[in-house]
Amino acid sequence: MAAGAIYGLFAIGVVLVYRGTGAINFAQGEIGTLGLFLAWWSVTEQGLPWIVGAILAIAFAAVVGAGFERFAIRPMVNANRVAIAVATIGFLSLILAFEAKFFSPSPRVLPPPIEGVGVEIAGYFVSPTMWLSFAVVVAVSLGLGVVLRKTDFGLGVLAAAQDPAGARLMGVPFNRVSMFVWGTAAAISALGALLIAPTLGAFAPGFVSLLFLKGLAAAVVGGLGSMSGAIVGGIAVGIIEVWVKDIFGGVTLPGVDVLVVFGVILLVLILRPGGLLAGLKVREAGA
Amino acid sequence: MTDTRWKRYLIVLIAFAAIPPVLTRMGFLGDFWFETLAKGVALAAMGLALNVVMGYAGQISLGHAALAGVGAFASGVLTAPDRFGLPFFLGALAAMTFAAGIAFLIGLPALRLKGVYLAVATMGFAFAMQESLFRAPFISRGSAGVELPRPLIGTFEFLRAGDYFALVLVLLLLVWVLDTNLTRSKLGRAFQAIRSDETIAASFGVDVTRYKLLAFTISGAIAGLAGAMYGHTVQFINAETFDFDQTIILVIIVVLGGLGSRVGVTSAAAFYVLFPAILVKLFGNKLLGWDFIIGAALLIYTISKHPGGLAEAVRHAREKKAARAVRDAAAGGATHDDTLADVPAMPDMPRPAGLPERTTEATGTALLSARDVTVSFGGLRAVDDVSIDVHRGRIVGLIGPNGAGKTTMFNAMSGALTPDGGRVSLLGRDVSNAPAHVRAALGLGRSFQMIGLARDLSVTENLLLAQHMVAAYGTASALLGLGKAPRIERELRTRAREAIAALGFERYADTPVKNLSHGQQRIVEIACVLVTAPEIVMLDEPSAGMAPAAVEALAQRLHDMRDQLGRTLLVIEHNIPLVLDVCDELYVMNSGQLLAHGDPDEVVKRDEVVGAYLGEMVPA
Amino acid sequence: MTGNGSRPLLEARDLTAGFGSHQVLHGVSIRVAPGEIAGVFGLNGAGKSVMMKVLAGMVPAWSGTVTFDGRDVTMLSPEKRVAAGIGNVPQGRQVFPALTVDENLRIGAYTSRRRDKHSYGTRLARIYEQFPILGQRRGQLAGSLSGGEQAALAVGRALINAPKLILVDEPSAGLAPKIVHELGDILRQVVEAGVAMILVEQNVTFGLTLVDRAHILQTGRIVHEGPVGELDHGTLATQLGIGRMLTRTTATALAGRQDDAEVVAETPDGELRVKRTPAKKKPAARKRAAAKKTVSRKTTATRATARKTTTAKKTTARARATKASRNGAPPRSTRKKT
Repeated sequence: MAAGAIYGLFAIGVVLVYRGTGAINFAQGEIGTLGLFLAWWSVTEQGLPWIVGAILAIAFAAVVGAGFERFAIRPMVNANRVAIAVATIGFLSLILAFEAKFFSPSPRVLPPPIEGVGVEIAGYFVSPTMWLSFAVVVAVSLGLGVVLRKTDFGLGVLAAAQDPAGARLMGVPFNRVSMFVWGTAAAISALGALLIAPTLGAFAPGFVSLLFLKGLAAAVVGGLGSMSGAIVGGIAVGIIEVWVKDIFGGVTLPGVDVLVVFGVILLVLILRPGGLLAGLKVREAGA
Repeated sequence: MTDTRWKRYLIVLIAFAAIPPVLTRMGFLGDFWFETLAKGVALAAMGLALNVVMGYAGQISLGHAALAGVGAFASGVLTAPDRFGLPFFLGALAAMTFAAGIAFLIGLPALRLKGVYLAVATMGFAFAMQESLFRAPFISRGSAGVELPRPLIGTFEFLRAGDYFALVLVLLLLVWVLDTNLTRSKLGRAFQAIRSDETIAASFGVDVTRYKLLAFTISGAIAGLAGAMYGHTVQFINAETFDFDQTIILVIIVVLGGLGSRVGVTSAAAFYVLFPAILVKLFGNKLLGWDFIIGAALLIYTISKHPGGLAEAVRHAREKKAARAVRDAAAGGATHDDTLADVPAMPDMPRPAGLPERTTEATGTALLSARDVTVSFGGLRAVDDVSIDVHRGRIVGLIGPNGAGKTTMFNAMSGALTPDGGRVSLLGRDVSNAPAHVRAALGLGRSFQMIGLARDLSVTENLLLAQHMVAAYGTASALLGLGKAPRIERELRTRAREAIAALGFERYADTPVKNLSHGQQRIVEIACVLVTAPEIVMLDEPSAGMAPAAVEALAQRLHDMRDQLGRTLLVIEHNIPLVLDVCDELYVMNSGQLLAHGDPDEVVKRDEVVGAYLGEMVPA
Repeated sequence: MTGNGSRPLLEARDLTAGFGSHQVLHGVSIRVAPGEIAGVFGLNGAGKSVMMKVLAGMVPAWSGTVTFDGRDVTMLSPEKRVAAGIGNVPQGRQVFPALTVDENLRIGAYTSRRRDKHSYGTRLARIYEQFPILGQRRGQLAGSLSGGEQAALAVGRALINAPKLILVDEPSAGLAPKIVHELGDILRQVVEAGVAMILVEQNVTFGLTLVDRAHILQTGRIVHEGPVGELDHGTLATQLGIGRMLTRTTATALAGRQDDAEVVAETPDGELRVKRTPAKKKPAARKRAAAKKTVSRKTTATRATARKTTTAKKTTARARATKASRNGAPPRSTRKKT
């Protein structure tokens, strides 16, 4: 269940980049892992408190995300989406290779911010970290919402998401908007990674990317249209996953749960080609 | 296929089959290199498979490694001595069949989606395969995997890597030939039209859904074969061999090589296998991880600078010279003057054989009739209860201010969209629910405001695309280059050549239409619309962008279309004198509604038309 | 050619531009003086939007220069041009549909708020004063506004930065005639405030009532340029291919801008011409405001005469025209063969 919240968090990152710049950053999750490694290093090796490690991780991820946009993506002015996606995949490979070289593939453990097994609710253990996750997701959505609507720059991001050319004609600095969007999305990934690491135990290179892909699926299910869609999608995917595991857990065919989740996602997409919240959009009118 | 091509392929075939075994026996290039090269060849074949879907048809697929895996596992299970022990070619055949079948099954639902959604759906498929089916006990006995033997033909076993390499080279050649035939046939053109713009493809009679599925299935078959090729090279596969990471590598190869380029994709695949192998041989284990880092950095750099892949980079360099010449001339005062002064006569195309039988409307009824058509977008009524009748042999005009709903009405009549209410009948048949390509086959041709041509294709290729409906040969004939396909293709090309000659556009025959001026594109488009002798021709702002002198010529051509070619026309226009000159009947729309209908000279003088259409300022 | 002594606010020289190897603009030059409205007319596909995009900075020019307020802005990004004092009312209005009216205005003021946040309140109030309908709908989503309200918002958005020049691209497209009339009033207000404007219009009749100088763009070249007072009816008809019908209304509009002209029927086949009585030249743009009152009085008078003449000649003209077309005669047009 908490997983659903985390998927929602990753989904928010996906929607942010997709709406803001029309692209999907496949390296987004792994930038989060990189942050995680940094946090691990500062907490375990350097003995800094968890919160410092977390802040370092998030800040570092933001810089990496923004920097990648600036140097690799911005020059790709006329590229189609597939080419941009491939560039981000290249970045993903780069990060994985980097981690493999300098951190070795063995898993690490990052101690959670709050210890303890937690409270039992309806047969599931809800650890303090899970509470924290929920709280964080809510805080992030609200915070992002405030920044986007109340500040000038944030408003610029929203405007650029609706109409990049129109925003530029109003004087909104599109370059800075792009960097902000990519950096923030990466930071959110790092945050998500930090929150889910204790629940899943150890982490290793590639760890966050798998979650990110689920977040991507969640965002798509939600329709890629809005933050709320992202959260709804995340929770939906989380619920489906748990529910499917419960029902099919005992069946001999391995990976049935993945099959069913895939089937469900396919079903959703076919029945609602624009995602779950698509009905709220209006078709473009012709002349 | 032409004789020269046959001969060329034969020579290559012999070279492929003979040289590697000879090299092996002479001791050049040990097993390691031949295995690496064989892997590269298999990867290239997989890339070519993905290229059909992504490069030609423009659909994203993140499930192709899984399709290759299906082929590999199928071949493995059938040929492994401790399983069915069947000969290699049966295994390969099974590989192609199973993979094509699964591609078809996945394609049925998935291809209704587009872009990101299709990508995610295929990604889900890949994961599903990787986690469940590939691990199923009866296939791979858990994660132990499947062992594949080297092929056995008669008593000759392809144990030596060099021999096996020759075999896969020959198979690659087969795939290459099939792919070449594909691109030169109506399939390739239809795919590219779909990639360019599905609505335009449908207006030329391409059944978009069917062709997308066809692309996917053919691609699946090739992927399956490639998977078998790979499997028999490495001789052991499990669920990880064809996992999602592998699909990513395929996508990278196809995009890096250049979407739509055989040579690019093959080179990229070769590079992908050879680069690390060379590094290992040169630096041994000292590299340890740096090779991946360098490789990834190289990838990012290349894609960032050349988003169209290496093939595009090469093409771009060549085009840049031409473009710069144009710009320098422009800056120097001499302008690239392609202002059209005349609209050439449209070629008189006799009704081609091979068209489906056309019905005729009853005497007195309209050839094309739309009744009470309503189209809504969200809460906005773009077309509100409009009825238009076009009788045979007439030129009917449709005018109205920008935003009146004229093009939307056109779209409802041609099948580019389905109206929310009302009926459309063509040649006496109710086509209200028929998709665009069906109406095209029945005899409806239309042009588009923004030029309905496949932008990246040349003038000739567009004229061939326009004849899609009369290319009466099947997929197998197209792929093999045998049977009806070569002869019919020749006929299509002859007709295209004649049309180009009639237009006087010989020097533009192989130019991509996007490089022509607006007026020239319009002419090509009209020729394409006419080439299958449609009963009714719907033109959307044909004079847009033409200088007044050319517009006068256009008026004459429209008259000719009716008088000499016997066509019936429905024309949207903004140019009032042209309308007054050419049309027998006029409809006026405003804000989605029909405002007036009748004799052109009389209609344009009505107060409500003057007021609405011309936006007359009420004097202060 | 201009006879206008002041330095041009914006000057574009010999612009060439296009896509790939497809050239759209073949050496376009255009000049606007401070406080002047320059109109650009042309058929679909003539290159009007490309020209506007080059001036706005969205499309790079292949060659040529754009100078604004003495500064070379040819290489400047659109955002920086806005900051330099060029406002935009894009084609189709392009308001941000999911943002409120208030937020749309705030976005429009992005660059000026960065410079000076305090005066924003005053400027916002002034815009609401100028466009009361916007004030009523402050908190409403821009996507739910009517076409005319969106037009007002788009103009307000461009003005809130207090620009020296605004680029207005086909503002009347898709609007009902009554709204177009209101739009004309809005744009006139803009110019009274001293803001210069380059106006691109498909609707020639509407444009003619607003502009001081008219340019005609045809297949990427300016084929005519000059004060609207000197615009020859025949030139308009030839270059834009407007026919008999438009001739009447456009001629009326044209006559309205030329205080010494009247509409008469002249040619045998019923064509209308604008006849100039021995004329004073139209007052220069600088004296526009003062002369405006005289002009408008004359305009009404001229229009009244024009209407009388028009109605009287209508029947004859129509009869002649129908006769001509019935005889299957080749289209007789006022278009001169170039």
